[in-house]
Amino acid sequence: MATMNSGYQDNTPVPAVSSSKKPLPPEKIADTQSVLKRLQSELMALMMSGDPGISAFPEEDNILKWKGTIHGSKDTVFEGTEYRLSLNFPADYPFKPPKVKFDTRCFHPNVDVYGNICLDILQDQWSSAYDVGTILLSIQSLLGEPNISSPLNNEAAALWGNQEEYRKMVEKLYKPPTA
Amino acid sequence: MDSKTLIDGKSVDCDESEENISEFFMCCVCLDILYKPIVLACGHVSCFWCVHKSMSGLHRSHCPVCRHPYHHFPTICQMLHFLLLKMYPAAYKRREVQILEEEEQMGIFSPQLDGSSFESKQSSVLSSPSNVSSVPCSASEDKVCARMQESESGFISQDRVRTSSMEENNLPKTNCDGTCNEVSITDALCSACKQLLYHPAVLNCGHVYCETCIIVPEDDILICQICKSPHPGDFPKVCLEFGKFLEEKFPKEYALRRDAVEHRRVQLENKSSTACSRNASENGVQSLFLPGDEFPTLQGKDGSMVHLAVGCDSCGMFPIVGDRYKCKDCVEAIGFDLCGDCYNTQSKLPGRFNQQHTPDHRLELIKLSDFTHNLMLGIVRHLEDGSPFLPQYAFEDSEDGSAALESSVAQQSSDDSGVAPVSRDTGNDEDQSNEPSSI
Repeated sequence: MATMNSGYQDNTPVPAVSSSKKPLPPEKIADTQSVLKRLQSELMALMMSGDPGISAFPEEDNILKWKGTIHGSKDTVFEGTEYRLSLNFPADYPFKPPKVKFDTRCFHPNVDVYGNICLDILQDQWSSAYDVGTILLSIQSLLGEPNISSPLNNEAAALWGNQEEYRKMVEKLYKPPTA
Repeated sequence: MDSKTLIDGKSVDCDESEENISEFFMCCVCLDILYKPIVLACGHVSCFWCVHKSMSGLHRSHCPVCRHPYHHFPTICQMLHFLLLKMYPAAYKRREVQILEEEEQMGIFSPQLDGSSFESKQSSVLSSPSNVSSVPCSASEDKVCARMQESESGFISQDRVRTSSMEENNLPKTNCDGTCNEVSITDALCSACKQLLYHPAVLNCGHVYCETCIIVPEDDILICQICKSPHPGDFPKVCLEFGKFLEEKFPKEYALRRDAVEHRRVQLENKSSTACSRNASENGVQSLFLPGDEFPTLQGKDGSMVHLAVGCDSCGMFPIVGDRYKCKDCVEAIGFDLCGDCYNTQSKLPGRFNQQHTPDHRLELIKLSDFTHNLMLGIVRHLEDGSPFLPQYAFEDSEDGSAALESSVAQQSSDDSGVAPVSRDTGNDEDQSNEPSSI
């Protein structure tokens, strides 16, 4: 068996050197159906679970694009704040992670000014058993427990040691997401 | 579980909503009922395609649930497959139709298990003559069935499968009312002791044993007593979900089995026997890679080649490390490959993807030069994370990547002894970009 694996699922029989001369076939349609099915199940589970502090819902016209909301956890400098995120699911989800970004500005060591997030489970540590719920919960806990050693926002990383000042900064920069 | 509406708005003829699917049998990847279940060595279960698509073709894979590393794509657990088919015929058939549709679009098929597609077609026709159109691909299903029967002669566990499919054929008609989907202990017997499974563990070949019935010869590789195929990797852990289900389903019998097993264990301990299977298993299983040992992307531990994104159709090793033999006669897009070990043991197993491989097909040893290897690595990386398709040099003087690739491939194949003097242990792009700028 030469692979039909997720990443190379667009059917490039990598090892067969001769066939790499052929143009890459387009993304498989077969996947779309199973992605939709899975996302529908996730949405259902998410609505049933009613996890406090996180929520997510697809955008009106595209089930592959979701908007999520995270509330800053109690007893962290982010308490009382609320962040909007966008989640873009690839056609081979859940075998590849969704692209997740903060829409609301978030002053955090592992979030850059464009809202990109540095979180291992959204990159090489992704597992197909993760879902929207686990992603949002992970980001929520990342807020309170940043990884200072590999910051995207150096200013935030430097300030993290001083929680009082940090809280002031969060309050100063915070703009609640518009509904 | 009302997901009937998901298949093109057509409902399955059996009423799936009456099937109360146990949470133990929900796949954590597709979030639906397990279809053609595969049990990993860590004991976690997922569907055939969910496992395969979650695997990495670059290095060892990790269980989606517990990240336990593994290197072999296990075979479908037929016991679970037939159990699920029996208990939840409507849901399972809905999955069958859905997966077959996806497989047809991909042009690659999962193994057709004796009895499953055949029987389901039969019963769907029988139970709902008006709804035959809900099986949209019956013609091709026929084809697949025929293929399956052809290739079946090589199937190891044929007899067992046959028996279960015979049983199946007599049973499911009454299932649609949702009351008769009872399973009996005979559906869940240990392959060794022939009693109700206690702490079921599944080998790489898909056969199920009680944990205590798996005996590893000391300093030897664990071999399945049914099909004689070796079990690579770690000693299999108990499939907890399956165990819990059996405990719920057959509480009395399961308790009896527990008592018996515990009793025997105590006896063994009293004798201070060192030949206890559990002890042997701790050290006895030879693992290809040490735990946590990510093998280098270009070469295996012992310096042998890694055939990126190619798996062995016999033992399931994916990617193949060491020698790779490719079938010259299989026409399926996915191809048929064997690793060195399986080639040497003359494996008679059919392919993992329903290929038409027969023992008289010719196999050839695939040689890879370092250059090809780097090329493949570039391609796989590109597909995996969107990094540059090839080391920059290949693109320098061509309009598009395919031309560059073609020329480099041409050069490579004209001199297979290794055009690129890339040092064997470098995998990073910097090193490669210093290489032949003449291409």
